[in-house]
Amino acid sequence: MINVESLTKTYGPRTVLNGVSVAFEKGQVVSLIGPSGGGKSTLLRCLNGLEEFHGGAITIGRDVLKPGGAAVNKKALASIRQRVGMVFQTWNLFPHRTALGNVIEGPVHVKGLAVAEATARAEALLERVGLSHRKAAYPGEMSGGEQQRVAIARALAMEPEALLLDEPTSALDPERVGEVLDVLTGLAKDGLTMMVVTHEMRFAREVSHRTLVLHGGQIIEDGPPAEVIDNPKHERTRAFLGLTRRD
Amino acid sequence: MYPACPKALASRAVRRGQALAVLVALAALFVALGACGSRPTPPSGGAGLARVRAAHKLRWGADIQGGEPYVWEDSEHGGRRVGFEVDLANAIARELGVEAEFVQNDWSALVPSLERGTFDVILNGFEVTPSRVGRVRFTRPYYCFAARLMARRSDSAVQPTVGWMRGRRVGTLANSFSFEYLRAAQAEIVPYEGVEEPYIDLAQGRSDAVLLDDIIAARYGEPRQDLRVVGDVADGYYAVAARNEEPDLQAAVDGALARVIASGELERILSRAGIMNERQRRLMTWSESDQRRMLGTQDTRQRLNGTHVMLFLRGARTTLWVSTLAMCLAIPLGLLLAVIRLYGPKPLAKLAGLYIEVYRGTPVLLQLYVLYYGLADVVKLNAPAAAILGLGMNYAAYEAEVYRAGIQAVPKGQTEAALSLGMSLPLALRRVVLPQAFRLALPSVTNDFIALLKDSSLVSVITVVELTKQMTITAVDVRSWVLPGAMCAALYFAMSYPLSIVARRLEEKMARA
Repeated sequence: MINVESLTKTYGPRTVLNGVSVAFEKGQVVSLIGPSGGGKSTLLRCLNGLEEFHGGAITIGRDVLKPGGAAVNKKALASIRQRVGMVFQTWNLFPHRTALGNVIEGPVHVKGLAVAEATARAEALLERVGLSHRKAAYPGEMSGGEQQRVAIARALAMEPEALLLDEPTSALDPERVGEVLDVLTGLAKDGLTMMVVTHEMRFAREVSHRTLVLHGGQIIEDGPPAEVIDNPKHERTRAFLGLTRRD
Repeated sequence: MYPACPKALASRAVRRGQALAVLVALAALFVALGACGSRPTPPSGGAGLARVRAAHKLRWGADIQGGEPYVWEDSEHGGRRVGFEVDLANAIARELGVEAEFVQNDWSALVPSLERGTFDVILNGFEVTPSRVGRVRFTRPYYCFAARLMARRSDSAVQPTVGWMRGRRVGTLANSFSFEYLRAAQAEIVPYEGVEEPYIDLAQGRSDAVLLDDIIAARYGEPRQDLRVVGDVADGYYAVAARNEEPDLQAAVDGALARVIASGELERILSRAGIMNERQRRLMTWSESDQRRMLGTQDTRQRLNGTHVMLFLRGARTTLWVSTLAMCLAIPLGLLLAVIRLYGPKPLAKLAGLYIEVYRGTPVLLQLYVLYYGLADVVKLNAPAAAILGLGMNYAAYEAEVYRAGIQAVPKGQTEAALSLGMSLPLALRRVVLPQAFRLALPSVTNDFIALLKDSSLVSVITVVELTKQMTITAVDVRSWVLPGAMCAALYFAMSYPLSIVARRLEEKMARA
């Protein structure tokens, strides 16, 4: 459903993505791992147009993103962003709205759903992430784990075909990581298509169907997590995993 | 949103206590000032002449803004000060055996400056009016003028009578002879600071007539093709004024002036300025009884009374609604400018930037002048509309910068989260960025509103009588700036202090959120 072709992106003299080609299939949970600066977050952010790229193309369903950013891809972006959700490392909840307000924001103001209907759905989603009791709380009054779970519910409220998650647990206190991973595991079981940039090797191995390793702006490994994580072919992957294990 | 915790209640009580303390202090100040303001300073016998002789200088206060033919800067002679009053001051000083020294002073503040000793005498088209007699000591007159009524040539209904003036909009200089005449005639006075503006406004149809000294009318009104002289309604005098407690200086200047008149020098000075006429003959035979008649016998000094208080409240009301409406214009316009500057297409963004820089980089006084007088041929705004528009457009530039800072302080992740929900940029701005930016900007906006309340006093230059202007008018009536000044300050304070409290509460609330 998502097809990336020879994607290239540079920051001045630095090449962040160097001709990345990869296809993601429906229902797949893909984990993107690799050292910082390898390009995994950039790849993810390119998929819904938060980052501009300079070469190649991204095809999502019938929408095609081309180099040139928002000015060129206005129509495709509007369509893609409604179908592909995004969860950020730092949650980015709207601080001036309650948990419930955050979740209904997209359905009401983008999809034009009636508030009552959106609220009913939002309450079900908050229940699913285990936060029905916190629906009236403001982001400033919630823990990081709670906020990230609200952020997941907010993205799900748009009924996305795929969910992009950019290091969803990296900014959490260690004891809060589990509650977010539990939610993601549940979603994977329900068959949601997800691309997850993560440093949680256990999650990558146990939940994802496929693991990509990005290094130097290229995909250097691509395969089932057990194979990639336990038996990496590439020297760089071994070095990276050695580092992660020592962490 | 948040239940009031006991601590907040306690701090509110403390704050209420502070407010009370401030009010009590202000009231005490009021009483103290009133006490010293109402007691006239006893005459000190008069050391004025001795001081002038010792300094070998007669410092005379005047405003070159009064222009021709009084005192002005001659651009053809390197900005040298010229005018019939310069010649007269030199002649008087010479008679006293000293040098004349010009001291520039705003015309409307000549009396308080004289009293605090900025100069020795006033000599600047300073008309003998009932409210000035008793506040200063006048010499014999050096010029006899006529209050001349002018109207539009097309308006044939105007009559030079008190009956006609009643209720009509008539322009004049604030606190002048004509001002008091019009007030007695119960006209609707349009007060100006300069001599050219009344005639511009009359030609524009913003007033029904202008009443000013014939010298001024001849220079600034009569050359206009669209205006006509209706008639002269009263005679008045220019005289030199000395401090009340310096009768010796007044007598010496009076004697010097008598000699200048007797020798025919005054006539030569007036002729050279082109303002000599038959009316001046009476100056040559000026007697004690003429002087008494000119000064009048009754003291028209008023005490600060209920009418004044009502006028002050009306001035405060004008200040409040002009400021409020200007702010109501500045907030959306500023928001628009900030959004265009940050997100608009390049040429528009540049234009918004230019607007902001021009409006912040030039004085608001100048902007008001340009809007009201400069553009009078293009857009004919009435004075309150021009005041609101002028202040609003100026403050919009400041608000735009406040919002820009607010918008830029909202984390980038907020926009990204909104966009990733499928929002367009305008929707993301409206629903996510601007509500947060506005919260960040609120304390600054409130502070700007407080500043605007006080800046609104500038609109008196385009004839809007607001609180400060009312204060200067009343100060002349009661012969003191002290009590009207304190009242004026108290009213400004009463308007701005609640706003300060609101601003502080908002800041505290935001710090908690």
